[in-house]
Amino acid sequence: MHISDGVLPISVTVGSYIAGAAIVAWSVRRTNSEELPKLAVMTAAFFVASLVHVPLGPTSVHLIIPGLTGALLGSSAFLSIGLGLLLQSLLFQFGGLTALGANALMMGLPALACGWFFQRFKGWIQLRQAVVGGLAGALGTVLASIILAILLMTGGEDFFGVAKIALLAHVPVVIIEGVVSAFTIGFLARVKPVLLQTSFRHPTKAAHG
Amino acid sequence: MADVINIQMPLWQLSLLALILFSAIAIVVVLLRCIAHEPSAVGEDRDWSVPSLADGCGTSLLHRWDVRCKILTILVCSFAVASLSHLAPALIAIGLSLIILFIARVSFAKVVLRLLAISGFVGMFLVIMPFSVPVHNGDTVLVFNGMDRLSFNLRGLLLAGTIAAKAIAIALLMEPLLSTAPFPVTLHELSRLGIPEMVGQMVLLSYRYLHVFRHEARRMSWGMQVRGFRKRTELATLRAVGNFIGMLFVRSFERTERVFDAMRARGYRGRFPEPAELRLQAKDVVLAAAWIAVVAALIIYDRIV
Repeated sequence: MHISDGVLPISVTVGSYIAGAAIVAWSVRRTNSEELPKLAVMTAAFFVASLVHVPLGPTSVHLIIPGLTGALLGSSAFLSIGLGLLLQSLLFQFGGLTALGANALMMGLPALACGWFFQRFKGWIQLRQAVVGGLAGALGTVLASIILAILLMTGGEDFFGVAKIALLAHVPVVIIEGVVSAFTIGFLARVKPVLLQTSFRHPTKAAHG
Repeated sequence: MADVINIQMPLWQLSLLALILFSAIAIVVVLLRCIAHEPSAVGEDRDWSVPSLADGCGTSLLHRWDVRCKILTILVCSFAVASLSHLAPALIAIGLSLIILFIARVSFAKVVLRLLAISGFVGMFLVIMPFSVPVHNGDTVLVFNGMDRLSFNLRGLLLAGTIAAKAIAIALLMEPLLSTAPFPVTLHELSRLGIPEMVGQMVLLSYRYLHVFRHEARRMSWGMQVRGFRKRTELATLRAVGNFIGMLFVRSFERTERVFDAMRARGYRGRFPEPAELRLQAKDVVLAAAWIAVVAALIIYDRIV
């Protein structure tokens, strides 16, 4: 779920833009500058993955994948997600351009948390990596929905009801997201384990990462 | 302060009210969808799944306007509209956007697609807020017999309507912003406005490979369908989707390496050639100033109301 234009108070809109820009700057610093074009191309892949719909009873939900992005890209994930959201806003109007900062925080902060969580606990066994990846995927969606609810609640008590329902609406997505992430990470662990080392890290930091 | 105005209504009117709200939204969505999917020209089968931002040729006022002025003005205007807090100015903002849409002569179907994209989120507010907003003094509340907990607060409807109007007004501005100049030119002018050049380049690269990976994903899903895969609500589907995404990442990553090698082999040093040279003229600034003056008047009106 992306926040559209005109929902959040203007102070929150501008504030989240500033916070988002600061974290993007940090994320750029943590990324090897040579690798920025590669990150841009990878962002396109994450974008396409987020368009995949999964059937859920009579309807279908699309994946949000902040957890997977974080697990694969580490601290570069925030930059990648900011870029992806900008494109989504420009191309599809998913999330307004004025709400871009808020949306970047909503997706990017969980990605950073999940990236840390995945790298910290992934271990070396394939099964464990899949399970931790699934947990990271679920965690990413949980955190994203909590941040969404908090952002909505900055609008005052009139928005509390909507925030609650937005939280509830994410419950099925959390489960699906977790299961799909577990399978994806399990697949990558078998097929291309290199991808699970965050590959866009700054060279000085990546030596023992 | 006036007390809460309670209007008693029998229960059957609740279902009528809900029915009217739901069907109004549904009719609007279906209508928009019909318009959006109407074939634009005979024999031309356009793929809107990933909209194109490439076409930017036209002769309207917005096409001829200096791109930097246009970007700045529309961004200022969007934020200004987002800061409105009453329904009347927000409705006027929609009117303004419609006028600009008319002047810019952009593809109507694409504008409608944008409205469809926000309809889910905005519709959620319209349906939920009248029931969830806490009751204050001076509110008009429709109460239904036999259901004390469920009351329809008109203030909530007004609030949600304001949000919807603001979202629509801004969404209408996006098509004039983006499709009145070629996308690379827009990004290049952004970098001349102080956005780091690397950002523009990354957006361009992502945008370009978005189409490549989109085709890759479609080929893969065709392959899966040929092998008998059907999406259902079950674990096996989730497993297949998980593997699908994993495969997409593997292929994309390998392509990423090749793309980067090819770029370097052609002498890429962190710059693309400049797409166009544009010069700022007095009339560009006048147009920007006039537009911003109108928006400023709108904000003042919003504060007075």
